[in-house]
Amino acid sequence: MKRFLPLLPWLLALAVLALLPQLLTVKYYLHLSILALIWVVVAQGQNLIQGFTGYVSIVQAGFMGIGAYGSTLIGLHFQWPLWATIAMAPLITALFALATGYPSLRVKGHYFAIVTLAFNLIIVIVLVNYSELTKGEAGISNIPKPWGGSREAFYYLALVLAASLTLLAALISRSRVGEILLAIRQNEDLVAAVGIAAWKYKLFAFVVSAMYAGLGGALYAHFQGFINPEIFGVAQSLDAILAVILGGSGTIAGPAIGAFLVVFLPELLRFADSFRLILYGLILVLATIFMPIGIVGIAKAAFARIMRREARHGG
Amino acid sequence: MLIEILQQTINGLAIGGVYVLIALGLTTVFGILGIAHFAHGSISMSGGYLTYFLVTAQGMPVLAAIPVALASGILLGLLVEMLAYRPVRNANHINAFIVALGLTMMVEGLNLQLFGHEQVVIPTGLSRVFRLGGITVPELRLYVIVAAIVLVIAMMIFVERTKTGQAIRAVAENRDAAILMGVNVRTIPLIVFGMSTALGVAAGIMVGALFAIAPGIGEGLVVKGFAVLILGGLGSFPGAILGGTVLGITESIAAGFISSAYKDVIAFVVMILVLLIRPQGLLGRAP
Repeated sequence: MKRFLPLLPWLLALAVLALLPQLLTVKYYLHLSILALIWVVVAQGQNLIQGFTGYVSIVQAGFMGIGAYGSTLIGLHFQWPLWATIAMAPLITALFALATGYPSLRVKGHYFAIVTLAFNLIIVIVLVNYSELTKGEAGISNIPKPWGGSREAFYYLALVLAASLTLLAALISRSRVGEILLAIRQNEDLVAAVGIAAWKYKLFAFVVSAMYAGLGGALYAHFQGFINPEIFGVAQSLDAILAVILGGSGTIAGPAIGAFLVVFLPELLRFADSFRLILYGLILVLATIFMPIGIVGIAKAAFARIMRREARHGG
Repeated sequence: MLIEILQQTINGLAIGGVYVLIALGLTTVFGILGIAHFAHGSISMSGGYLTYFLVTAQGMPVLAAIPVALASGILLGLLVEMLAYRPVRNANHINAFIVALGLTMMVEGLNLQLFGHEQVVIPTGLSRVFRLGGITVPELRLYVIVAAIVLVIAMMIFVERTKTGQAIRAVAENRDAAILMGVNVRTIPLIVFGMSTALGVAAGIMVGALFAIAPGIGEGLVVKGFAVLILGGLGSFPGAILGGTVLGITESIAAGFISSAYKDVIAFVVMILVLLIRPQGLLGRAP
C-alpha cells in the first residue's frame, strides 16, 4: 500500500481532469484546458533538456512550429490521413533536432541557450520568407481537425497524450539514462571523466525534448485550425522555460502545473493586458530569485517539514 | 562590381560599428561577471527610444539629447545590476540567464508601453551625401563610423590604462586574488554595467538614426552580439571588434548580392559554422 501512496495525487489529478469537460460549463475554459494540455506535452519536453540535463534550450516553440507546419503541409500536399501526418510531426522534428543539436551542444551554459535561440529565429525567418510553401506571415488556415472539430473528443485526445508523455518522462528520468542526465547537470566534467560519452546523452535529451515539442505543435495546428510564424516565435519558447521554472525544474509534476499556469495566467492578467509582458517578466525574475525550486519544490519542502514534525510528535 | 562591393563595405562598416559596440558591452559583462546579459539589446534600444522622445516630443537638439540618454542608460544599467543580477550572483549560472530573459521581457514591455508599436526614426537632419569616385557615403553613416571608432578607443584606454580599468581586468582574471589585493568587488560590477550600458545606448541611438527602432529589434541585436562573441572568441576585446566589423560587412554584401530577406540568417549560420570548425572563435585561445 505504502508503495502506491505517491501515486495518489496523480490519480486524483487524472480523475479531476477526466471529469473536467462535464464540470466546465463555459466552453472557453474547455478551450483553454485543451491548450494547457498541449502545453503540458511541450513543457515536459522542455523539462527533459532544461530541468534534468541543465541546458536551457530556447527553441522549443521553433520545434513546435516545425511539427505544426510539417503535419499541416504533408496533409496539404500529399493528402495523407490526419493521424499519419500528426505521427510524422515528431519524426520530422527529431531530424531537425539532430542537425541543430550536434553543433549547439558543443557549447555549454549561456552559449547553448543563445545558439538555440538563434535557431528559433532562423526557423521563424524561414517560415516568414519561404512563402511559396508556408504562405508567409498570413499563415495557413482551414487545417483539418479530427472528429469534425469536436472539442470534447480533442480534450480527451490531449489528456491521454499529455498523461502518457508525462509517464514516459517519469520513466526516462528514473532510468539509467535519466541518472546520467542528472549527473551531467551536476558535473559534466566528472561524467566525462568516468568514461561516459556525455554528448550522446545530451543529444538524446535534446532530440526527445524536440519530439515532444513537434507533437505539441502538430496538436496545436489541428486543434486551432490556423497557424502562422508568429505563434512559434522566441516569446513562446520563453513561455516553455517559464512553465518549467514556475512549476518546478527537474520534477515531473512541475512542468504539468507550470503549463496550466502559463496558459491560464495571461487570462487572469487580462485586466492588465498592456502590462502583461512586464508582469510576465517580473514574475520570471522574482520566481528565479525567490523560488528557484518552483511550486513543486516548495510543496515538497513543506510536506517534508510536516512529516518530520509528525514523526517527532509520534516518537 | 568592385564599386558595388566597396559601397556595401562602407555600408557594412556602419552597422558593423553598432555590432562592435553591442558586443563589447556583452563581452565585458560576460568576461568579468560571467553573466550572459541578454537584456542588453532591449536596454540599448530604450536609450534609442529615449533620444527619439527627447528630440521629437521635447524639441531638444540631438546633441543635447544624446548625453541625457547615455546618463539614463548608465543609471538603468546600475539598477539592473543591483536589483536583478546581484541576488542571483552566487546561484547557478542558468538562474542569472533566466533572470536576464525575464528582464528582457520587462524592458521590451516597458518600451512598448512608453513608445508604442510603431517603428521610430531619430530625426538628425543630417542629409548631405559625400561622393568619392563612384561611392556615395551619407554624412550620417560617416559620423556613426567615426563615433564608433572613438568610443572603442576610449573604452580601450579606460580598461588598459586607468587604475579602475586595471581593477576590472584583475577581477576578470582572478576574482579571489583581486579581493586579496584590496579591489572592491562590489563596485566593479556597477562600473562594468554602467560602461556596457553606455556603449549599448550609443549603439541604440545609432540604430535609431541609421535605420529604425521597433519592438523586437533589441532582441535580434543582442543575439547578433552574442554571435559576434562566438565568432571572435569569448571574452576577447580584439575578437569582438574584428568579429563585429566582419559580420557587418558580410551582412551588407550578402544583402546587396544575395537576398535581403535572409541577411539576418547569415550571422547565425556563421556562428554555427564557427562552433563546428573552431569552437574557441577566430581570436580565442584553444581550450
